[in-house]
Amino acid sequence: MVSGSTDLPGAGSSMESAPAVDLRNITKRFGAVTACDQIDLALTRGRIHGILGENGAGKSTLMKILIGLVLPDEGSITIDGEATQIHSPLAAAELGIGMVHQHFSLVDPLTVWENVALGDAGRLDPNAIRNRIGNIADQYGLRIEPDARVGDLTAGLRQRVEIIKCLRRDPSIVIFDEPTSVLTPEESVQLFASLRQVVADEGRAVVLVSHKLDEVLHATDDITIMRQGKVVDRLLAADADAPTLARGMVGRDVSLRSERAALGVLAVDDPPVDHVLAQPDGTPVLEILGATAHAPDGRAVLNNFSLKLHAGEIVGIAGVEGNGQRELGDLLSSLISLDAGSVVVDGHKITPGRSGAMARAGVGVIPEDRHDSGIVLDMSLAENLILVDQSAVAPKGFIDHGALEAHANAMIEQFDIQCSGPHAPMWSLSGGNQQRVVLARELSQQPKVLVAAQPTRGLDVGAIEYMSDRLRAAADDGVAVLLISSELEEILDMSHRIVVMHAGRLVGEMPRADVDLERLGLMMGGATV
Amino acid sequence: MGGFFQAFWDIASSNSTYLNGALFAAFLAFAATGEWVAERAGTLNISVEGMLLAGAFTSAVGYNITESMILALFCGVLGGLIIAGVQAEMSHRLTADQFVVGLTLNILVLGLAGFLDNEIQPATKLASSFDVPLLSDLPLIGQALFGQRWPFYVLYPLIPFTWWLVYRTRWGLELRSVGENPQSADVSGIDVNKRRRQSIYYAGFTSGLGGWFLIFGQIGLFEDSVIGGRGFIAIAAVIFGGWTLRGTLAGCIIFAGALSFRLSVQGLGYEVNSELLQSLPFIVTLLGMAIFAHRVRAPAALAQPFVRGLK
Repeated sequence: MVSGSTDLPGAGSSMESAPAVDLRNITKRFGAVTACDQIDLALTRGRIHGILGENGAGKSTLMKILIGLVLPDEGSITIDGEATQIHSPLAAAELGIGMVHQHFSLVDPLTVWENVALGDAGRLDPNAIRNRIGNIADQYGLRIEPDARVGDLTAGLRQRVEIIKCLRRDPSIVIFDEPTSVLTPEESVQLFASLRQVVADEGRAVVLVSHKLDEVLHATDDITIMRQGKVVDRLLAADADAPTLARGMVGRDVSLRSERAALGVLAVDDPPVDHVLAQPDGTPVLEILGATAHAPDGRAVLNNFSLKLHAGEIVGIAGVEGNGQRELGDLLSSLISLDAGSVVVDGHKITPGRSGAMARAGVGVIPEDRHDSGIVLDMSLAENLILVDQSAVAPKGFIDHGALEAHANAMIEQFDIQCSGPHAPMWSLSGGNQQRVVLARELSQQPKVLVAAQPTRGLDVGAIEYMSDRLRAAADDGVAVLLISSELEEILDMSHRIVVMHAGRLVGEMPRADVDLERLGLMMGGATV
Repeated sequence: MGGFFQAFWDIASSNSTYLNGALFAAFLAFAATGEWVAERAGTLNISVEGMLLAGAFTSAVGYNITESMILALFCGVLGGLIIAGVQAEMSHRLTADQFVVGLTLNILVLGLAGFLDNEIQPATKLASSFDVPLLSDLPLIGQALFGQRWPFYVLYPLIPFTWWLVYRTRWGLELRSVGENPQSADVSGIDVNKRRRQSIYYAGFTSGLGGWFLIFGQIGLFEDSVIGGRGFIAIAAVIFGGWTLRGTLAGCIIFAGALSFRLSVQGLGYEVNSELLQSLPFIVTLLGMAIFAHRVRAPAALAQPFVRGLK
């Protein structure tokens, strides 16, 4: 089991065999940030080891060290009793370490067998690879068509390819990095079933990296909890319960409802008490009618999608990532135009895709990727706050620096932004504070509609709590909030009404109180129930 | 209008139109084949112009010294590879901007070739013709495709070889993956920048051949203006062809047709403003791009540098 740790409960009979992997004292710094701080980790054959931690706890960095993508600054790696160094993914593969990546390591335009062949050496023999894929498929129940183009596959099937690609080299150590983030609940269950088989077979050591308590609790044998680059606890899954894990992960007792929802502790089929909204008044503030848009390859990313949003309500868009949620956000950010359909904001028809039109009509957006489209990292906090609308500080086209600073100071106070001042460069702020800047900017426009796309992604628990409160407060003030999130718990916790998207279509809609999880899961998988 | 159609018919039925068209197309194809490989791996290699000129010049010098066209071929390839080396090492080892490097190289090679041409004044001549029996007797295209000087025929094995290399070998699979998704390729254990450098060397190789072909298979003497921007037309052919080898070759043929048409118009004695005619191939290229460029999908990581460890 987890040798080298002093506080291990229930260390059993397998202590005498050398661990498959023994990491000692692993430290990795990126500039001033210590991503991994003197980490010890031991993996045992025949067992699934869960590594639990919030975003940014250092889990991914640790795994990248093990797979040869990142070199540690300090520490030693011992594989099957032999000290070694892992300089590249190829070296890791030779040591028998394979990884199923969180963001797939697949190349879309290539076929399944071509992807599986990537990274091998020697002559390219398509038939041998097709046969190998067939064998693995039979052995683990991972059926796949070897000549299908990977870009055409669903997320679940793509992950299947990823797993086959990993297993093809017959690794003795397999790492799964956040494997369920792109799967429907049903697909996740299937995944964990094949995971068990991977372990049972030939005594592989498996690592499951996750930020979801539930998953780690039910699918693993040993658990290591990480926080801020350090290992804070090691325990056996059999001895663990959700509150203990949550406390280890966050560093204090977790009591608030949204925190528990964010961590997946909450039993999601119990609806929040305060979430029954009085029947909204008749006229919707946002009305999307039959929106249809196509990707350059001809695939419909939005397919006859219609939605009405009323003042004061929070509507959650549930669905597996990549089913049109991003495009819906893009539509309401004026980033894409429609092939058919229309968007009406507050009674006015808005031309989709005309730069800034949605924002002028009163649609505020907290974008999915704040670094990509939410903020400009190299500009100051004050400048970022006026990116959408400069009229308040630059009435004649010249920026009034006094007004700019006053505006920034007001926002810093109102939204409690931790920073060195209004001229602090954006990159010097933490993720949670960057998100507050985005929120401050959008709310100061006094929007009628607020689109929050993955608003808590990558934030720590305290920041999640703040964001959730602010969104609720906005709704209470009469803003119509559209919440797009891949975390089902977040949607269930926040929304008055839930809409399910699949393949760009609206496949189901229900008030929060009527949610039936099984039905919701089926809908996310594309079934019309 | 009748006159126009008569002229068009005269040109379309003239053997020399096809003969010249094939020569122009072959020259473009030498360059575009390698350029296609480089672009599939993710480099929009604008120094192909410089590679062609360097290849033409070094092969001319090589012949001047050795009086052997075979040895001149190797010199031409070497010239192309030298420029490829600078482009590859600068843009995919030192991560300098590939366009700045390419632009600089093109200007540098043009200046150097002009200077050294004056200094050395290499003497060259055309290679001998070779008629493929039977095939060269075909009407219109027989002489164009099978009655050329022998350097022309080097293109014939080069094209299927390149196709095989890109679609049927592990190296080709890896270079395609590098052009589409370098992060995934890296994670899979492929040295992304190495593959990209190698693909640029391949472009240098075929462009060197192209320069050699131009001197010994088409014009017989070197001047610093022999390429005249046609490297860029080769790049346009790759884009026009939607980053497939078949489409790229079709692009070469269409653009070469425009070049040849221009010559034939004057050769057959029709009077058209010659400056306007000069621009015809480029107008056709622009039109072709305008019509086709948005319908095709480029390699997803085209012209994006890859640095490990960055997200």
